[in-house]
Amino acid sequence: MIFNSEFSGQQQHTTQPIVTGGSVIALAYKGGVVVGADTLCSYGSMADFKNVEKIAQVSKNTIYVSSGEFSDFQQVVRELAKIDRSALQYDDGVHPSPRDYGNYLARLSYKRRCKINPLYLQNVIAGFHNGERYLGLVDIYGTYLESNFVTTGFASYFCKAIISNYWNENCTLDQAKQVIRECFKVLFCRDCRAHDVIQLAYVDEQGTHIEQPERVETKWDFSGFKNRANEKLHTQ
Amino acid sequence: MLKHLYDTDCVTWSPQGKLFQVEYAMEAVKQGSICLGLKSSENVVLCSLKRQPSELAGYQEKQFKIDDHMAIAIAGLTADARVLCKYMRTECLEYKYTYESHHPVGRLVFKVAEKSQHKTQSGAKRPYGVGLLVAGIDPNGVHLFETCPSGNYYEYKCQAIGSRSQAARTYFESWFHLFEKSTLEQLVLHGLSAIKKAIMEDEELNEKNVEVGILGKNLKFTHLNAQELKDYIAKLEGFNPNSQIQQE
Repeated sequence: MIFNSEFSGQQQHTTQPIVTGGSVIALAYKGGVVVGADTLCSYGSMADFKNVEKIAQVSKNTIYVSSGEFSDFQQVVRELAKIDRSALQYDDGVHPSPRDYGNYLARLSYKRRCKINPLYLQNVIAGFHNGERYLGLVDIYGTYLESNFVTTGFASYFCKAIISNYWNENCTLDQAKQVIRECFKVLFCRDCRAHDVIQLAYVDEQGTHIEQPERVETKWDFSGFKNRANEKLHTQ
Repeated sequence: MLKHLYDTDCVTWSPQGKLFQVEYAMEAVKQGSICLGLKSSENVVLCSLKRQPSELAGYQEKQFKIDDHMAIAIAGLTADARVLCKYMRTECLEYKYTYESHHPVGRLVFKVAEKSQHKTQSGAKRPYGVGLLVAGIDPNGVHLFETCPSGNYYEYKCQAIGSRSQAARTYFESWFHLFEKSTLEQLVLHGLSAIKKAIMEDEELNEKNVEVGILGKNLKFTHLNAQELKDYIAKLEGFNPNSQIQQE
């Protein structure tokens, strides 16, 4: 048997993500929190898996989604589910609050960062607990932030202006959803790894509601595209 | 009953289905001086009688803070209690580090019970010789638990353990229906009245031999200081639970 000495007996460190999820945008609205993510997993620049429903329900009042390495995302979902199941193990019906999940994930990410083997993710945890909205961001280093609005990936560059202009923390659910759709419209135009099918989910007093994926409206029938008015054929 | 045939270690059952070593460990708890706890819908109060080994010595503390939202009162072997106390404190600290929130009380008691049970199922170990009254507050509400050397745990509205605790429990049986709506002050006075039932004729309650710890939904665990204890003990004279009924 031939063992490749590079790969055997040695711990590997994640240096680059392979299958990646796109941007995530989450906004608080009056009465809850709404999260949007596209349904694409890219394999480098290839749009490989186009119908991935990413938003994970972690507990009755918490949802989780992240951008970055998708296998790490799946692993984190398993880890968080483990914690949720602890209520069953201890027989006490005590479920962690969304903030508990956020902090746990921050500790997990920080531990991995210290080993120079990160969970290659920017994480968003959203929930509603005891009458309070919760929205948390945990990045690849384990930095933990709570905020009224959260963006990951390219959305942090393209979408903050849109959010600033059209959203406030006391808007209605529909207004917040519209802002997110608008953001993904822009992302589809500008981010090469974005997709026009997105999924929205919101958490309010009644619990979590994860919606079916929807296609974002985009306009491509500009006469310039159709008629190729600006193209001139080169002739020698 | 030829007890001595079956009581050498934890791994021997008696024909009657008893583990004598565990039962002997529970005796050790009954030898400790009394400690009791009682709760209302908002507060938990722990009261204990401290023993003084000799004139020259100080009084043995019986209540220990585990975290801001949790405390224990012990009866039995103090050394064993220290081990459990350290374990509980460590668990709370780790939980807070990971989740930034307080360890659910029932869950920690469960962990202590697991630890205690483990000691009852080995040839080389002995059970912890201490019973704990765990007072704590978490999102599930206000709690008072008792743990045993056997590894059992129970939740209570009020409970007393240790030497002459039956007298205190009898007091509780008469008055516990008032505790739910009691104010913190009334709760402390009930606790001290119950302890008073359990002391010897020639003993008296004073701020040196009594320890009172209080915990509330918005009140981190604190011990009453000497002056506060003196004031409460003075109030005991005029304390009449019957008047509390008239208020309701």
